[in-house]
Amino acid sequence: MIVAEGLTKDFRIAERRPGLLGSLSTLLTREYRTVHAVDGISFALRAGSKTAYIGANGAGKSTTIKMLTGIMTPTSGRCLVNGVEPYRHRRENARAIGVVFGQRSQLWWDLSVPDSFRILRRIYAIPDAVYERNLALYRELLDIDALGTTPVRQLSLGQRMRAEIAASLLHDPKVVFWDEPTIGLDMVLKEAVRELVNRANAELGTTVLLTSHDLSDIAAICDDALVVDGGRVVHEGTLTELLGRADRRSVVFDHRGGPGPLDAARGVEAGLPGATATVTPEGRIRVDYPAASLTSRQVLGFLLDRFELTDCYAPEPDLETVLRQIYRGGVPAARNGGGA
Amino acid sequence: MNRTLGGRLRLALFLGGVGLHRLAAYRLDFLLGSGAFLVRVGLQTVTVGVVFSHVPAVAGWSYHQVLFLLGCALLPRGLDHLFTDQLWELSRKLIQRGEFYRYLIRPVNPLFALLSERFFHPDGIGELLVGLVLVLWSGAELGLDPTALQWALAPLLVVAGALIHFSVKLFFASLSFWTVTSMPALQTVTQVSEFAGYPLDLYHASLRTLLTWVLPFAFTSYAPAVYLLHDDTGLLRWLPAVTGLSLLAALALWRRGLSRYEMTGS
Repeated sequence: MIVAEGLTKDFRIAERRPGLLGSLSTLLTREYRTVHAVDGISFALRAGSKTAYIGANGAGKSTTIKMLTGIMTPTSGRCLVNGVEPYRHRRENARAIGVVFGQRSQLWWDLSVPDSFRILRRIYAIPDAVYERNLALYRELLDIDALGTTPVRQLSLGQRMRAEIAASLLHDPKVVFWDEPTIGLDMVLKEAVRELVNRANAELGTTVLLTSHDLSDIAAICDDALVVDGGRVVHEGTLTELLGRADRRSVVFDHRGGPGPLDAARGVEAGLPGATATVTPEGRIRVDYPAASLTSRQVLGFLLDRFELTDCYAPEPDLETVLRQIYRGGVPAARNGGGA
Repeated sequence: MNRTLGGRLRLALFLGGVGLHRLAAYRLDFLLGSGAFLVRVGLQTVTVGVVFSHVPAVAGWSYHQVLFLLGCALLPRGLDHLFTDQLWELSRKLIQRGEFYRYLIRPVNPLFALLSERFFHPDGIGELLVGLVLVLWSGAELGLDPTALQWALAPLLVVAGALIHFSVKLFFASLSFWTVTSMPALQTVTQVSEFAGYPLDLYHASLRTLLTWVLPFAFTSYAPAVYLLHDDTGLLRWLPAVTGLSLLAALALWRRGLSRYEMTGS
């Protein structure tokens, strides 16, 4: 559904020298520096997938989305959305996609939300049944009627985002590109937005590509992850595989009798070199260990041997930890997960 | 979908309606705008009147002929104003603030999507009305009796003039794809276009050449006026070519701008 082949975008940036004299001198002699915002990335996302597009600031996420939505033309390479090169066939592409840029409104600034929707209905020639069904859904989940007839420019960020989200799905697009769609939304509305896109995916097979600083958005919506770092793809696969690439594992346990929590923790650290043990606020003990030098078998064997366990569970590595590791360069660039 | 001409026209009318609707939100702005415009045209008429109270003719032009020319200049300007005012926003802020992208994600021609946001700008209606009054009144005073051909061509001349205004505006607004904002350039060009409201014979040859062959505003007012007044077709013969070339140049620059558009920010 979404394919990128050697997709590249360079920007030419005029070098400015500092200070007033510097500014004046750049008027006469300009030097340019080329920035490779996206550096020959390739990936393929299947129809009906929900993919998180992940990368540190400046990894070229937004630039890629701007090319996939037809807003910008690549310097070299190409991409295909629904079989069409977006920047070459903008109108054809636009019919099939829905877009949200959280930082930039796409609504009619001087019009109310219902008026904007009426325009979109005309522009996309949305059939009555589809329009009514979607509007009913937005009433139920986003309380869209509460926005009333206020012009968009007078709405709060949260109110405007609700309208932007709804506008991006109104015409039942085959693909939605959401770049930071939940900024300004409270927990309840975030939930509603997630449910909205998950429903579209389940009922209509809508393909989703999402970027978000809120990792819980990613966890609640996406099955797949595309991780970009330094302009190249470092992970293309399921979110579970990505989590499996964490180089540290954890076990949390409760025990009966024996030493107190602090002593027990010290005992664990002494018996398992490389592991760190901490006491949780609930009085349990959390053991973090490097997956490279200790196996789960070694760790659990040691704990069973030493303590009378009453409860024990292994929390999944969290996305934030894994990502921090990737950005630091801790995880080797492999295509197929591995690690787990 | 909206591919057919009929569909597009219906969409245009609908969006125009939206434009009028929005107008209600800016009623005061609208009143101020039309008030200022009427004062400006009034002052122009008075100035011309004052000049002619001292001399019977200027460069061979009588009082009513000059007013006729002024009216001829207002008509295409008003028609253009009615449909393309959003180009000012393009030159002023749409690129700079990264807002332009929204015209590229709709299944509508981007130029049409851009312009449609300000269809039926009320200032244009004012210019058209005042222009029409000036042309009809001074034409009657001059005892003008147009031939059948002149009657038939007159609306076409207004349309061609509006296309020239549009082309020049589109060309200079499109520069903002490279320069981020191009409003000063557009303002300068608009000021130059004001010269075309008076007889070209008044000006130095260099300004005449500029207004005829570089920024061809002479074809929006002077050329049609001398044709209707004196049946002089010397300049008018070039009108189709000038209109066509202006339009082609402007559209070419616009297309190149679109393909190099860089949406700022995230």
